[in-house]
Amino acid sequence: MTLTEVAAQAKPQSKRARGSALGPALAVPGIIWLLLFFLAPLYVVLAIVFGRTDPIFRTAVPVWNPLQWNPSQFNYVLSRIVGDNGIFGPALLRTAIYVLLAGLLCLLLAFPVAYYTARLSGRWKGLLLAALIAPFWISYMMRMLAWVNLLQDDGLVNRLFSLGGVFDVRTHWLTGQPVVVVLGLVYGYVAYMILPLYAGLDRLPQSTLEAARDLGASRFASFWRVTLPMCRPTIVAAVLLTCLPMLGDYFTSDMLSASPKTAMVGNLINDSVQSPGQTGQAGALVMLVLLVAVVPMFYYVRVTTRGDVAS
Amino acid sequence: MAVPNRPSPSRRQFLLRAALLAGGTPALMAFLDACATGDQTSSSAPSMKVASPDKPVTWDIAKDNAPIADGLAPEKAATLQLYTYADYVSPDAIKSFQEKYGTTVQVSTFNDTDEAITKIRAGSVDYDVFFPSYDQIGKLVNGSLLRPLNHSYVPNIKNVWPVFTNPFYDQQWRYTTPYTVYTTGIGWNNTVVPADIGALANPYESLWDPAYKNKTAVIDDWHTAMSMVLLKLGITDVNTSSAADLKSVGEQLTALVAATSPKVTITMYTDVPTGQIGLTQMWSGDIINAQNYLPEGATAEVLRYWFPTDGRGLVDNDLMVILRGGKNPVLSHLFINHMLETESAKQNFKQIGYQPPQVSMSPDSLVSDGFVAENIKTAIVRPEYYDVGYRILELEPDNDAAWHNVWRAFKAGGS
Amino acid sequence: MRGPVAWWNDPWRPPRFLVAVTFGYLAWSLIPVLIAVLFSFNDGRSRTVWQGFSTRWYFGDPVKSVWHDAALHTALLQTLKLGVITTLITVPLGVMFAIGIDRWRGRLPAGANLLMLVSFVLPEVLLAVALLFVVTSLPLPIKLGTSAQVLGLVTFQIAYPAVLVRARLATIGTQYEEAAQDLGASPIAALRRVTLPMLLPAIFASTVLVFADVIDDFVLVRYLSGNSSTEPVSVKIYNTARAAPTPALNALATLLLFAALLAITVGYLVYRRMTRGDNAAAGGIAAFAGEA
Repeated sequence: MTLTEVAAQAKPQSKRARGSALGPALAVPGIIWLLLFFLAPLYVVLAIVFGRTDPIFRTAVPVWNPLQWNPSQFNYVLSRIVGDNGIFGPALLRTAIYVLLAGLLCLLLAFPVAYYTARLSGRWKGLLLAALIAPFWISYMMRMLAWVNLLQDDGLVNRLFSLGGVFDVRTHWLTGQPVVVVLGLVYGYVAYMILPLYAGLDRLPQSTLEAARDLGASRFASFWRVTLPMCRPTIVAAVLLTCLPMLGDYFTSDMLSASPKTAMVGNLINDSVQSPGQTGQAGALVMLVLLVAVVPMFYYVRVTTRGDVAS
Repeated sequence: MAVPNRPSPSRRQFLLRAALLAGGTPALMAFLDACATGDQTSSSAPSMKVASPDKPVTWDIAKDNAPIADGLAPEKAATLQLYTYADYVSPDAIKSFQEKYGTTVQVSTFNDTDEAITKIRAGSVDYDVFFPSYDQIGKLVNGSLLRPLNHSYVPNIKNVWPVFTNPFYDQQWRYTTPYTVYTTGIGWNNTVVPADIGALANPYESLWDPAYKNKTAVIDDWHTAMSMVLLKLGITDVNTSSAADLKSVGEQLTALVAATSPKVTITMYTDVPTGQIGLTQMWSGDIINAQNYLPEGATAEVLRYWFPTDGRGLVDNDLMVILRGGKNPVLSHLFINHMLETESAKQNFKQIGYQPPQVSMSPDSLVSDGFVAENIKTAIVRPEYYDVGYRILELEPDNDAAWHNVWRAFKAGGS
Repeated sequence: MRGPVAWWNDPWRPPRFLVAVTFGYLAWSLIPVLIAVLFSFNDGRSRTVWQGFSTRWYFGDPVKSVWHDAALHTALLQTLKLGVITTLITVPLGVMFAIGIDRWRGRLPAGANLLMLVSFVLPEVLLAVALLFVVTSLPLPIKLGTSAQVLGLVTFQIAYPAVLVRARLATIGTQYEEAAQDLGASPIAALRRVTLPMLLPAIFASTVLVFADVIDDFVLVRYLSGNSSTEPVSVKIYNTARAAPTPALNALATLLLFAALLAITVGYLVYRRMTRGDNAAAGGIAAFAGEA
């Protein structure tokens, strides 16, 4: 036992006890802020969803007393999801599909890139990492705008496909093409997946992977049966970290395809919020997205706070 | 990362809790339903005067909302706040106003009128001059959002068509002055769509023609787009409250998405000249403005516009109003007066494409004066159109809700 | 010489597939940006057809260039204002929160931690709509505009420094602070003189990252903006992109890009100096980005 440990054990309890008041004191401002500006607004959303609408202007009037809440707007939204009146259903389904597809594509793209950068890039590691982080510092709007230009009928993408005049490609990329919207989502969010994957892959013990190869596994087998299972928590966390924010995206569809064919739930919310009579319904959709996202969020938190080995 | 003191839930517990949450929500809703008590029985909607050409309206001026006094000096060191569509006020006209009165002007933009009025009603903004259409006037006046005009500051009213000193939507022009007049027809780019759409029996139908798939667009405004669908069906009451009519509109919109997958936007004036949009519902001002956005090497020859020659199509005019929440009422009046001046109106016309209802600018001289190219002279607005044309009016709240529901179903891509 | 088949099957070969994917991704990610920067120097008004080199959109054009167009100035100023104010509030709040939660045991801090992580992952539009409702429904002294935007941004970003600092605290451990307390320091002094200096790299990294994130934010600032003087560059780009964009927009975004690059480079160099000789902070850019 070192001297410090002995001294620590012999210390009177009072100093430790006093020290423990510091923690709460420091955390309290942050907690109050989150309560005031994160939790309380969610209650205001509830008050508006279950509130009334002004008869002339049809703007939303919040009702604060839960006993006077009127669930008609919430029921309206719920009843319009499936069935004859299912006007919201297709958009919700479409959002789920786009987000899943985009998440999968992001993973397929981000994993090799993160793996290479973390483990195999040697002296290029720093530079590669800088290039991978670069998208965070470049205005998202500017990157999307760059793509809008490239995808115009007379833009570079069509010119590239035309191979300098060999073919005449004039595909209309910007008129309601789901492929373009999904790829737009991938383009915007893949950078958010690469960094956590990089962090997790960086910490994999090289010795374990080498042991697998030494014991006779082929490259593919050692990847599939050793590497992947070891970084499963990292993958789950990275996928959640990327896909959950995607649920609220509306500007990608707006900029890359101003068409109702690719409307996502974010578009529904955005269109309804400022529309007279539909504000409460927008709030109801907000609540729905929140409920749908909360389950994976709790799962994510469980994964990251279980003291998992990889992070 | 710190491990919480209690063991985290096992997978079974976690799934159980999630299931409880999912299952409990309808029960919670039923509970709330049962508990909900008063305030659902609001009395029948307080009456709101809805103006129409047959029933002209004179708005009241509330006692606490009197117009400003005569002969006041303009506010010093002020910033006049305009609230309008993007690219809807010419920078040169603003500049000349700034120089004349030594003030600054700031322009804020909105994408559609619903959003604009919601923001104004919320009360957190201090815009001075607002540019709505008259289908919002009832809401604006009833919500006490407007400042009545003091006519002594706006002598240039004599420059505009006489009808606007006593329009049906605001008799005795207590709150509004006209800004631009326009029609809503079909515009197309001749190189992308070589056919003469105007020669068809029902030109509106061309938007449903699968031959033009991915090349079409409709205006991102619920009333304008849905009115066009009604006209396509031959229904001339573009403010209908018939549920059957609205249902047909909904079905036609669904068919539209399936047939040509149109964009829903207001960028026609930049996209038609470049050919990005081939065929679209279009405001007359946009096709004239498109002359300013032609790509290098292209001429106005490619632009085309159709509007019923007998004037039986959608006609409209936009207004300038002064908002009560603004801090510069005198400057607002002076700005309105400035925009009604013939010189500024001409500058405005050149730069935004929308025709001002100026008495001195006869529709027949606009082509020879160089404002409008020969092949889009169908976009020029004539006063006669207003005798027979169909106007988009303000709707009663219930009807308004029904229309908005159809539009929202369309925008949600429900199919 | 080996034949091509042997070259392909060489057991010591570099991971060609991975290299191809990585560089392909980098090209796909960065080339559109480079093209956008290139067109900001375009001579004509087109953003798709190259018409010659000129700096007219930066300061040449007397009406529409960034230098002369007041609306673009205000957007730039607003962006920087939001960035600075938000960072100044977020970083201290987040750092204190992280240290406090770390030192506190119990259900309440675990719940607060959960709340913070949830705010990290929530889609931004949900928070934006909720705050919009708050500002427009409650008779608060806060109106739409810069103050509302700052409130929203701080709430959205507070998780960033909190997570980074907590990770760093976990790496450092409690031994140094306990040693200081054993040697007679009060808890506050131990915090101030031992822990905080060790946390400085993480604090600094989170400052730079929060700033970069805020100047790029779109959803929150758009919902909570008042009139056009409170619309930052991202909202300007969005509004103008749906109307009639000129290369002046590219020029504006390029200027912002260079400002961000400058901030990050300076920050990284300062970080390197600060962590000279500090093994726990080694790891270069990775540690700077909080991923070590």
